[in-house]
Amino acid sequence: MEKFSPVGEKEVTRAIVTEFAKQFDEYVESDCIIIGAGPSGLMAGRNLSRAGKKVLIVERNNYIGGGFWIGGYLMNKVTIRHPAERVLDELGIPYKEVTEGLFVSDGPHACSKLIASACDAGVKFANMTVFDDLVLKEGGRVCGVVINFTPVSALPREITCVDPVAIESPVVIDATGHDAQVVRKLEERGLIKTNGFGAMWVERSEDLVVEHTGEVHPGLIVAGMAVTTTYGLPRMGPTFGAMLLSGEVAAKVALQNLK
Amino acid sequence: MKSRRLEKIILYDEGVSDKLHVGEFAEYLQGKLGEVPVELRETPFALYPDKISDFAKKLASIKVQDVQRKIVPQNSPLYGEIQFEKRRIQGGTKGFGIIYDGLHLQKIFSELIPKMEHSLGFVHIFLTNRLFATWGESDKRYHLRTSVYGICSIISTTGLVEAPARPKEYYLLKSQYEMLGRNPSELKDRFKGRFIDYDDERLTEVTKGYVMQAVCYTLTGNPFCEDRGCRLYNAHWQEELIFAQLESEYEFCPRHSELLCK
Repeated sequence: MEKFSPVGEKEVTRAIVTEFAKQFDEYVESDCIIIGAGPSGLMAGRNLSRAGKKVLIVERNNYIGGGFWIGGYLMNKVTIRHPAERVLDELGIPYKEVTEGLFVSDGPHACSKLIASACDAGVKFANMTVFDDLVLKEGGRVCGVVINFTPVSALPREITCVDPVAIESPVVIDATGHDAQVVRKLEERGLIKTNGFGAMWVERSEDLVVEHTGEVHPGLIVAGMAVTTTYGLPRMGPTFGAMLLSGEVAAKVALQNLK
Repeated sequence: MKSRRLEKIILYDEGVSDKLHVGEFAEYLQGKLGEVPVELRETPFALYPDKISDFAKKLASIKVQDVQRKIVPQNSPLYGEIQFEKRRIQGGTKGFGIIYDGLHLQKIFSELIPKMEHSLGFVHIFLTNRLFATWGESDKRYHLRTSVYGICSIISTTGLVEAPARPKEYYLLKSQYEMLGRNPSELKDRFKGRFIDYDDERLTEVTKGYVMQAVCYTLTGNPFCEDRGCRLYNAHWQEELIFAQLESEYEFCPRHSELLCK
């Protein structure tokens, strides 16, 4: 058996620190920061990176992919409705048509392919990182976000005193799902008023999510499930087509803003 | 039954389903009402190109978010909501699924009627795929509607699908499917024909009865008939709707047949 290279603990640590610090330094300023690494955030990031933009996705969990690993009721089959199977073809994700216009795929396969595609395109991630606040500049325009390590937010405030840091980008995408964390932060500041999502109506909610994806405030684009919370649209069921297509639209809108 | 004389019937296409053949309504109405002129108009917003942003804002302000809370039109809807309405007005999308307050929608649409046509002899019928609901004072909640009638009447093709209830067993199975994570759209095959669906070829024929209800409102002040076999019957169930509009042995009850012949 070929032996592993003789590398000591300090070299391993140095490699991690150096590479992390280098990337962090580089992405303190990027073209677009996306909050949330679910399907809409990944899709938006992938398409922006493929268009040559510098993209950082902030994810509060250690894992990337959000809810795309599993479908409804913890079952790992994900459903996609026409016309979103086009994205599955593009990403090389196998699927089958179960009824006319309804496609099903393995969650782990679909999710890992999407993540890989985003990584291949050049997207960088800050995982285990929570969105804390917004950076607002002239006229209330969103120009970046304030972040912290996830474990800090899990500790009681009395025993932590870890200040967050700010990173900047001319465009921020809220892809935080139903929480719509970024939009809600604007709401706390009195700059916007969200509506909360309505009752579940799978048949129409997907179209409406894609239709409403776009700039909700100067510098802030809303994508995926965060769109339903922002605009009070019907809640979606366990279908992911709108997440993928909403990510595509968010990327298009961001590209226009970045021109 | 006292009735008014009609001067003209005007039908507006405010983004209806592609399955609705609006052109057939003119022929149908002329067949029933003889010499009353019928005009088909495209988008009712065409006359107001400078006011599109105003109308978009008004429409974005009358959305029902919670069916148990009566809306007060908002003064400041979100930018994205206004943009969506603008795209809809300009024909950039026919996206639907938002529920509007039906009476506020009627008020906005009535502002689109040219002043010289604001007269009791004119029947203005807006055909749309927007979904709307009206507030019920008795149970303090909104109810989806197929139509609202008045100086300006609105008929919703989405309302035809969603407002009259489907068979009870459909809803029981639907909730079971949802609990099991199955797609309830599979049920459509099982209940095929028992309710009107979005891509339903029967949509145009069914809508003719609702157009006649709007005409009847202008003629008598009451759009409905209590006869379950008359096209003017106010159906609350899809099966009632299908019977009144498609399966009944007669089109109108004797009383309304006589009224329409006058």
